[in-house]
Amino acid sequence: MNKRLVAYSATLIAAIGLPFALSNDPYLLAITNFIIIYSILCLGLNLILGYSGLLSLGHAAFYGIGAYATAILMTKHGFGFLPSLVISGLLALLLGFVLGLPTRKVRGDYFCLLTLAFGEIFRLVTQAWIGFTGGAMGIVGIPIPTVFGWEIKSEVDFYFLGIALLGFTYVTLKMLIESKFGRAFIAIREDELAASVMGINTPIYKILTFSIGSFYAGLAGSYLAVYQTTVTPSNFRLEESCLMIIMVIVGGMGRLEATFPGVAMMAIAIELFRPIAEYRLLLIGAIMILVLLFRPQGFLGASAFKD
Amino acid sequence: MALLETQQVTKTFGGVTAVKSISLKVDHGEIVGMIGPNGSGKSSFINLLSGIYKPDIGRILFEGEDITNYPSHAITGKGISRTFQNLRVFSNISVLDNLLIGRHCRIKNSLFNVYLNPLASKKIEKESEASVTSLLEMVDLSDRINDFARNLSYGSQRLLEICRALASEPKLLLLDEPCAGMNPAEVESLSTFLKGLQKSGTTIFIIEHNMKFIMSIAERIIVLNAGEKFREGIPQVIQSDKQVQKIYLGEEEEG
Repeated sequence: MNKRLVAYSATLIAAIGLPFALSNDPYLLAITNFIIIYSILCLGLNLILGYSGLLSLGHAAFYGIGAYATAILMTKHGFGFLPSLVISGLLALLLGFVLGLPTRKVRGDYFCLLTLAFGEIFRLVTQAWIGFTGGAMGIVGIPIPTVFGWEIKSEVDFYFLGIALLGFTYVTLKMLIESKFGRAFIAIREDELAASVMGINTPIYKILTFSIGSFYAGLAGSYLAVYQTTVTPSNFRLEESCLMIIMVIVGGMGRLEATFPGVAMMAIAIELFRPIAEYRLLLIGAIMILVLLFRPQGFLGASAFKD
Repeated sequence: MALLETQQVTKTFGGVTAVKSISLKVDHGEIVGMIGPNGSGKSSFINLLSGIYKPDIGRILFEGEDITNYPSHAITGKGISRTFQNLRVFSNISVLDNLLIGRHCRIKNSLFNVYLNPLASKKIEKESEASVTSLLEMVDLSDRINDFARNLSYGSQRLLEICRALASEPKLLLLDEPCAGMNPAEVESLSTFLKGLQKSGTTIFIIEHNMKFIMSIAERIIVLNAGEKFREGIPQVIQSDKQVQKIYLGEEEEG
């Protein structure tokens, strides 16, 4: 317990000190903020994929749902940031629940296809429904968010807002996985039949893991909306979902802390490979293949990728 | 009222009748054994009792309540828990987590607590930890509590699986060939352990091929043959039954 307190305090101090260490360089801070957003997304995805063993190819859609919800609420309905954030998360949770319902009947690969279809439908709807989502142009001019009187304008401001959201995500997920809920998710991943005989209502728990993981994606989306001040459908393509999956696998499935190195490594790789444009996807794929060959459990993972 | 009662329970797979009209009763505090040649429907019968299969015909009553169509997790909640013939411990997680998963339905935690009252959540989880560690003491596995289950010896994994089933505080414990793969010393200590459980009030239903074990521990034996109840009686009578010997050992190898 004490050890954990020390680790938390050290992390907190490092988090506060980081912008100064980066000497407020906007480019480096922008990369850091990208890492923060993807960490929130991938922590939620790790719950779904790493802990419960459900492969979702639609995580970017829930990210998008959060982003669009915040964008629409703030630009068209005059909502403040905090209520928009909460609503965005809850909306993603609700839609995660609805998409999770078929897990009762649909298994494995078929569930994966379902999430893939959901992600594509979401993107196509946002492109086509010009009156509501602004079509391919997206929604622009999202106002500057204020949190309890604090105007969030600069990269550093957004960094601290991001750290607060990331802290919330990590701590609540940690609580969740150290409770009977987290163990139930792991049991389902390990052996669904044995899990049900242990008294775990497996259909409900699969829906639960999917809704909760999506909730955090909604929060990340909300943050993205105010950070970019625009949202467009191209933020939420299949490529984004795949990148998140790669980050979780490279970091390590079934362990929250492993998410961070996975996200950071891939984010830095993306930046380093930027000069080679579209060939970078090739290199990112190569990194994942190397990880799967030589360290299938990921850098810090608890369990290897199965079936 | 019997603790468990099955009435004409029947299960067919395609054209094959795995369990044919089995009616039996298990009383509070009993140890009942079920034997029968391979393929006689013993494991199917346990799968019916634990809700993995649903009977085509017949009813299953537990403490007078009709549980025939309950899902597995609800049956565990009612107080029936089981082990598997081919060991199904969660091998990639710790011994402690295995037991805590076994206790799942008795842990009164909620998502509300996890998100909005973390201290209460922590307290509940700590209490359940304490209650499962006492199970490990009974089988001398306390020092392995943080090991991965897969690193335990085969016999220890069998004991862990029984402890995991006990973690849900069952009234009725179903054991599917608990002695398989155990050495004679382990069988002996399992026998002592189960008798201790019986004294503390747990009813036990065992499928087993190890005759020495089952005859010494069970108070009543049910013999299955081709999915049907073939004989029922006290061990001494079953052991000396010529018909039972015949179905079990075949015509030629009598004795």
